[in-house]
Amino acid sequence: MSTIRPRSLPAYLLALPAGLWMFGAVVMPAVLILWVSLWGGTAFGPGNPITFANYERFFANASYRGLIANTFLHTLMLMAITGVLGYGIAYFLVMKVQSRAWRTALFLAFIIPFWTSALIRAIAWVPFLGVNGVINQALMGLGITERPIEIFLYSRTGISMAQVSLYTLMASGPVVYMLAQIPPSLREAAMTLKAPPGVVFRRVIFPLTLPGVVIGQVLVFLSVMADFATVQWIGGNKIALLPNLILNFYEGAQLRAAAVVSVVLMACMLVGTFIAMRVVDIRKLGT
Amino acid sequence: MTWLLGTLTVGFLLYQWLPVFTLGLLSFSGPTGGTTFPMNGVSLHWYRELIEASIMNDFKPPFGRSVMLAAACSVVTCVLAVASAQAMRGRFRGHNLFFYLLLLGIMAPGLLVGFGVAIMGRLLGIEPAWNTTAFFVQVSWTLPFGFLVMLAIFNRFDSRLEEAALTLGANRLTTFRRITLPIVLPGVIGAALFGFTLSYDEFPRTMFTSGADMTLPLAVMAQLDRELTPELYAIGTATTLLSLVAILACTLILVSLRRTARPGS
Repeated sequence: MSTIRPRSLPAYLLALPAGLWMFGAVVMPAVLILWVSLWGGTAFGPGNPITFANYERFFANASYRGLIANTFLHTLMLMAITGVLGYGIAYFLVMKVQSRAWRTALFLAFIIPFWTSALIRAIAWVPFLGVNGVINQALMGLGITERPIEIFLYSRTGISMAQVSLYTLMASGPVVYMLAQIPPSLREAAMTLKAPPGVVFRRVIFPLTLPGVVIGQVLVFLSVMADFATVQWIGGNKIALLPNLILNFYEGAQLRAAAVVSVVLMACMLVGTFIAMRVVDIRKLGT
Repeated sequence: MTWLLGTLTVGFLLYQWLPVFTLGLLSFSGPTGGTTFPMNGVSLHWYRELIEASIMNDFKPPFGRSVMLAAACSVVTCVLAVASAQAMRGRFRGHNLFFYLLLLGIMAPGLLVGFGVAIMGRLLGIEPAWNTTAFFVQVSWTLPFGFLVMLAIFNRFDSRLEEAALTLGANRLTTFRRITLPIVLPGVIGAALFGFTLSYDEFPRTMFTSGADMTLPLAVMAQLDRELTPELYAIGTATTLLSLVAILACTLILVSLRRTARPGS
């Protein structure tokens, strides 16, 4: 018994404002985007005929099709990098660091940037990557190269470097959570039964952390698929991915085209999340 | 193996912090200093520029709007998060759907949500503005985080305390006000902090919905599109420090609350 009875009227009334707010601000807009993407005609108003012509035009363009593939490839690469890096860091912080003070300090050093502005952190990479940037100055100072290398800023390398620093925490966080849930006795039991460390990891530890890995990967997938900002600032105007196309169309007042790309992006994300949900049940994390 | 993982972790932390430190260092460069090294002297020139700004790149009004917007989001997030987490305890019909509806606010990309709300405003004939449409869409981003915080808090909540109050004749509202709320207060503060910082830094949702009067992140973005100056580094350093102070203050409040809540101390 709590201050709220199961299935009572107050339970519904308490849920109603938040439910309506989320419906109005998230679900309705998504439905509207889908609707607008199907509008034919020329006027921007609800009276337009429904047609698939906008989609036909989009998919007829080979460079747009390439953009979808590019976005997927880029995202998969980042998932792989942040996944391995994030798991390694999570494993080290939870299983290897014994001192409590050190662990807290390292955790904080790891988490604090997540609390500060992603915008500022993305900007911070610009002086780092530029032709006269810190990396080039360091490379030249060490005598590794004679002239500045131009591959960092305005390139996919630079974008990936910044995104790795922005999103590794997302891959790592859920793994940290799952690792911390594993009772130490489980590992001790496996070791008492003479399982070598590699086998303990493969057969005991890793399967238990799998939900965390999958959820982390979903978070990275969703973030990188939708990240237009890092791509725009560090990639300049030379590199574009699917979300940047939405912005371009929007700024060019081509709302229907922007809606089409939005629906394509949404569909990609839904498919990715659906696949992940088949692997693990996200609600198990909360229990 | 331990050494390898340790090097990896420390290496990553350096990798993550070095750009931020560089940004902070460069923000103190001299008046002739540029956006990269060398710094050409040490000064507070770029911070002074922020305060004595011209109309063209005056960041003070956007800062004011951002703070007000963040405060409003924080308050609404607290109220709605507590209400919806309480509702979840009532296991009403459709509570699973409700859970996913709120989670959708985190999963849905800001770019698409902002674009969708902009279209909605256009169809309904509502002018976009930072304190109407942008506020509406930002709460859909801050609320789910507050909701998750409150769910976690209520998961560990001992309902027997409420039962005792109810058995002693307190009505449900009094029980909530006098027993439940004080116990979950640290969580509420956490939800408020989430609401504030998430709203303060938000840009993809706000981009399409804030109209002519921009928030701070949008003003920074606009300046970045024009030119990257050490002034942006000064803003970046100032807001990062502001966030750190906010986090530190709230952590201290949480710790002291936990101390006083613990019996026998």
